[in-house]
Amino acid sequence: MRIFQKTNFNFIRYRKIAYGFSIILLVAGMVSLVVKGLNYGIDFRGGSEVVIRFEKNADVGQIRSVLDAAGVSGTLKQYGMDRSFLLSTVFQGDTGQLKALVSNALNDRIKGNRHEIVRIDAVGPSIASDLKWSAVKALLASLFAILLYVGFRFEIKFATAGVVAIFHDILTVLGLFSILGGLFTFMPLEMDQSIIAAFLTIAGYSITDTVVVYDRIRERIRGQKPSEYERIFNESMNQTLSRTIITSGTVLLSVFVLFIFAGPAIRGFAFAVFTGILIGTYSSIFVAAPLVYDWLRLTNSSVRLRGSKVS
Amino acid sequence: MKNKRFNLFLIAIVTLVACWSLWPTWRDYSLSKQLESFASPQDSLKYALTHREEIENARKKSLKLGLDLKGGMHLVMEVDQIDLFEQKAWNKDGKFSAIMQSVRLKASQSDARVIDILSAEFKGENIPLSRYFYDIRNSDQEIVVKLEKESEDALNRAKEIIRNRIDQYGVAEPVITTQGSRKIIIELPGVSDENRVRNLLKGTAKLEFRLLREPEEMVRTLDRINSYLVQNNQNSAAVQGSPAAETSAAATAPLPNGAKPVAPVGMQPSAKPLYDVIGVFQNGTAYTAEASKDYVVTLLRRSDIQALLPQDSELLLAAKPDIGKNGEKLYSIYLVRKAPELTGGVITEAKATFGSQGVQPEVLMSMNSEGTSKWARITGANIGKRIAIVLDGAVYSAPVVQSKIPSGSSVINGIGSLEEAKDLEIVLKAGALPAPVRIIEERTVGPSLGADYIRAGMLSLSWSFCAVSVFMLVYFKKAGIAADIALVLNILIVLSVLAGFNASLSLPGIAGIVLTIGMAVDANVLIYERIREELAEGKSVITAVTQGYDRAFSSILDSHVTTLSAAFLLYTYGIGPIQGFAVTLMIGTSASLFTAIVVTREIFHLLLTKNLMSDKSFG
Repeated sequence: MRIFQKTNFNFIRYRKIAYGFSIILLVAGMVSLVVKGLNYGIDFRGGSEVVIRFEKNADVGQIRSVLDAAGVSGTLKQYGMDRSFLLSTVFQGDTGQLKALVSNALNDRIKGNRHEIVRIDAVGPSIASDLKWSAVKALLASLFAILLYVGFRFEIKFATAGVVAIFHDILTVLGLFSILGGLFTFMPLEMDQSIIAAFLTIAGYSITDTVVVYDRIRERIRGQKPSEYERIFNESMNQTLSRTIITSGTVLLSVFVLFIFAGPAIRGFAFAVFTGILIGTYSSIFVAAPLVYDWLRLTNSSVRLRGSKVS
Repeated sequence: MKNKRFNLFLIAIVTLVACWSLWPTWRDYSLSKQLESFASPQDSLKYALTHREEIENARKKSLKLGLDLKGGMHLVMEVDQIDLFEQKAWNKDGKFSAIMQSVRLKASQSDARVIDILSAEFKGENIPLSRYFYDIRNSDQEIVVKLEKESEDALNRAKEIIRNRIDQYGVAEPVITTQGSRKIIIELPGVSDENRVRNLLKGTAKLEFRLLREPEEMVRTLDRINSYLVQNNQNSAAVQGSPAAETSAAATAPLPNGAKPVAPVGMQPSAKPLYDVIGVFQNGTAYTAEASKDYVVTLLRRSDIQALLPQDSELLLAAKPDIGKNGEKLYSIYLVRKAPELTGGVITEAKATFGSQGVQPEVLMSMNSEGTSKWARITGANIGKRIAIVLDGAVYSAPVVQSKIPSGSSVINGIGSLEEAKDLEIVLKAGALPAPVRIIEERTVGPSLGADYIRAGMLSLSWSFCAVSVFMLVYFKKAGIAADIALVLNILIVLSVLAGFNASLSLPGIAGIVLTIGMAVDANVLIYERIREELAEGKSVITAVTQGYDRAFSSILDSHVTTLSAAFLLYTYGIGPIQGFAVTLMIGTSASLFTAIVVTREIFHLLLTKNLMSDKSFG
């Protein structure tokens, strides 16, 4: 079976449209980040969270009023699956007290519908800021490592464009998180540690995709005149298109399965990776390679590529 | 073809090792299924007893499940370094306390290391660290190094003591590690009584025997504080509300006979602000009601109040309330000497029992020889006086010394329940922590949620495996089979490496495997697409396969290295659950380099030599 027979899209010619599209996405995301901000999870915000599961259907309003009356301050939301609720409060060193308070109030006031406290998380403010910093460090370090590696294997122009594409992907997903955050009860889209893991996965995947396109360009560009670059870039992208789409497809399939089956704890992560891979696939074709092309064209230089090859 | 033989050999070894490493997991699973299948619990028990060794062996070597899947508690505790440094300092004065106060404030607001904040703060005040720490001849630099060493030691000692406590309490497979210079990470799978564990871990377990001051001294001190407060209130009544007003509820609680009468409380500053919240018996014992306890504690902590106490003395509250006449809870207050006569370091044995009447739980302690002789001397010299038994700054009891105790035995009573006495026994045996610790992160997953997670994880795994492998079959036909075999081997390798290295599988770890399933076929897709291209150029199958593998190799290597480095950094900087994800992703990515390049290629070789491959085999 083949999805693409021989394709012959002129990606380079339409790159400006793609640039425009990317810029709109990014600007929209940035505006939302500034105006609306992000929804931080307790990993980064600090605080306590209690997940309460009821035996039968329960009404959010009723539970909320019961907890209010018991003096539990905080917000209560439906959590992922049915019959579960997420209570988030400020950080309390002794979660035992919180648990007892919630448990007693619910036992007293909501009879005939037993509940179970299935999860309690408490993250102190100092550890929250530690987590935030290590997340930022991990992201920056991996971007730098990728820049070095690709710069070493290809050339600095290729590496820079690849890292720009990663930035593009991560910032777009971050923007989406800000825009869509809190809109859906089944996925609150909070920023927590797992989203940082998603970002690093996206970074790894995005550069993988980009490197495959680069690799083909490198293979074909050797000894060619700069006037031939447009044709070579286009042909390389067309030749790798089928692979790009198929691997993205298999990963998307896996992540979609995660999104559906793996429960609310993983849903935000799955959403981030899913959109990130969609955008990463798009950016390796429409952002990374065209940027290299433009750079080569504007500086009027020919490429001196490192790397072995080819028989 | 030597090389080819080597590859086949390698594949066989890897497969065998993977299966061998996962065998206990399979045994463990089938044995527990077997145990459940018996009709009666007796049969099941009998089977368990006869197969005990096998079951235990399998369990020990099987793939561990993470806390989130099994249910349990994940705690991060922080050692209070400032307290530790304060302990290390000598000739402390007001200036020192003021500086430490501001260090404490700054440390709570920033991520910088406490030792750096401390030395910067002292430098800012132009005071050499040697005025308070170690030897006067030491430079700041030397002292910083020494203090660093000190806090490192303290962290390790704290870890060991906490491990002791947990071992005594009895948790299967606890994982206790240190992180950085002041954090201890504790993972306790399957813990059901979180409250008890928390209390067990939290206390410093600093046991002290301290002499009580004379009752007259106590009365005089309280009077002094009271009159100071009166004066203070008159000065500041206009500015701040009277403390008595806040605690009026407490003060109106009826006090037992023999106590000084309670002054009527209004919004006006009281004439006896202290005696509104503290009652005093004729014999000099003082107490406060439960409702006003917090207020009294903060009051007593104020530095201006501390200054009113007699030299080398301290006011401490009882750990447990006495029940008053009308059922109200009253906490006794003791004036004790600051310097302990004896500390918990001499305790060698502790045992929780019931007291002489057989109802009150208590903890019997015995001391080492040094402690025994000291204890004999102390008790001998103080017959008729009271000695308070203080644990973590709270007085458990303050018995009157009846006679000299030569045996080195002592007892803690005033304990609420036998369970609590048992926990005291544990912490006393394990020894005192070098500095207070506090819980800064806690994650508890109940067992039912863990079971849900397992189900969700397994569903995701099987669905994504099915989806991807069916897709590969449909899209690449015969070549897809090779890719699917490689995929199975890949998952086997990931699981077996986890089991072999005693790492545990968590929900994020499963997510990593699911993601690996999607990504691992990438290498095969690259190769197959390349082979298709070569075939389209009219090359023979054998040449196309060889060139396809050769030419795709560079892309595969680059893409794997980049993914691996991202996962590695995630592992390095990530904490807890995220590391689980990073680990499976790393193993999966490395394994797919092997499975996609070596394994599928061997399969093709095999098929090609048997003439089972044609140019149609690649879809």
